[in-house]
Amino acid sequence: MKSHILIVDDEAPIREILAQMLGQHGFRVTEAATAAEAHQLVQRETPDLIISDLQLEESDGLAMVARIKGDRPQLPVILLTGVLFDDEVVRETLSKVVTAYLPKTTPLARILEEVRRVLES
Amino acid sequence: MKDKLALRLAALFLIIAAILVAVATVAVRNISRATASSDWVNQTQALILELGSLRAGFHASDAALRALAMGGGEQEAAACRLALAQLADSFEVVKALTRSDPAQSAIVKRLGVLAAGRETLTTESLAARQTGKLDQVRNLLAADVAAGTAGEISRTVEKLKQEQMALLAARDSEAFRQAQTTRWTVWGGVILNFVLLAFTAWLVVDDLASRRRAAAVLQAANEQLETRVRERTAELVAANEKLQTENLERRWSAQALEHQLRYNEAIVNSLSDPVFVLTKAQNISRVNPAVAHVTGWEPPQVINRPLLGFVRLLESPRHFSPGIIDPVAQALKEGRDLRDLPAVVHDRMDREIPVRFTLFPLRDRDKVVGGVVILRLENPPA
Repeated sequence: MKSHILIVDDEAPIREILAQMLGQHGFRVTEAATAAEAHQLVQRETPDLIISDLQLEESDGLAMVARIKGDRPQLPVILLTGVLFDDEVVRETLSKVVTAYLPKTTPLARILEEVRRVLES
Repeated sequence: MKDKLALRLAALFLIIAAILVAVATVAVRNISRATASSDWVNQTQALILELGSLRAGFHASDAALRALAMGGGEQEAAACRLALAQLADSFEVVKALTRSDPAQSAIVKRLGVLAAGRETLTTESLAARQTGKLDQVRNLLAADVAAGTAGEISRTVEKLKQEQMALLAARDSEAFRQAQTTRWTVWGGVILNFVLLAFTAWLVVDDLASRRRAAAVLQAANEQLETRVRERTAELVAANEKLQTENLERRWSAQALEHQLRYNEAIVNSLSDPVFVLTKAQNISRVNPAVAHVTGWEPPQVINRPLLGFVRLLESPRHFSPGIIDPVAQALKEGRDLRDLPAVVHDRMDREIPVRFTLFPLRDRDKVVGGVVILRLENPPA
């Protein structure tokens, strides 16, 4: 059965490229442009993984993740953002909220590896 | 290949048919000859038998005639006439049997003359005997012996008989040779046809084997081709997937870079205080929108021009030596910050706007490559 991944990003080109790449590798992908839309989708069908941007319209990715994880604490989340954090911040702050952090400058192949790693773990 | 085989088969069947026709022709001709020979043999044997009868009749008449001459009575005379009649019958038969052969006919004609003489002799002898003149009968017989007629008749008949026997033997040898020839011809034709049929069968079997080999080779070639096509298709699919992946990666990279740049630019542009980015030589390389908003100078009017043309420090930092003429250059050289210094900025109307001046050295991998100047308005608009 295909793993279901929810992509949350306010930029359509980012969602489109990610969805195409993940679709090519056998994943079922759902897209959301806002935190509210993402929350609705999760309520309807819980995905196997969420890939979310940090900065979203009317909210931010970490707040959205905190809200979703209130109901589904085991749901893995990869934070994929253009905001660059240093390793210490990632280790001491972000790792408590999300499963993995990737800058948006990360190549797609590396993102795919991380997706597989998170799903398998 | 197919046409060549068809031609070979056609040629072989033509040869077989020709041999069959030749054998049949020879056999029919020999059978006809044998039939004709059989008729001839029958006739010749009849002639030989009849010649024997003729000779026997002649001897019988001669014996009857001599018995009559020796003083025989009516009984001997009757025997003599009967023998003469039988001789005449045999002669007629011999004459009929030899009619078709001129040489034999001539001999038989001669025999006819001799036989007629014998008939005359017999008639005269019978007449002399009826009148009781036995001496005359004896004289006639003696004259006949002297003429040698009886011996000539006997020799002629014997000779004719021997000739017929010789012809019969020759014809028999000829018939045997013909039978042998027919036998060899038929067997030879049959054997040759069997050989040709065997050769034809071998040709067909060989052709079938060749076709099977060709079909196997073709099938193997097709399978190899299909394998190569599958491999090539797989390579193309893999290459296409790789290309798509690379293309996607490039789009992603460009998108991420554009996003990063836009994000970084947004950070600077979101400040309401004027911000100047300087090169190491203090020329302006970038400004935020607040510069135009506060001073009226648009970016093309300030880019690549010295900062000192727009901003003037009102005092040097305290920790700088009194001899330092250009504290900004010195700060950039030393990699120091200048914080919250009094300064003025000239707007487009050539008015001086009081600001607090702050400079941060711009570092790239631990090397100062320029600076960032932030001007905080002393009297921000309400």
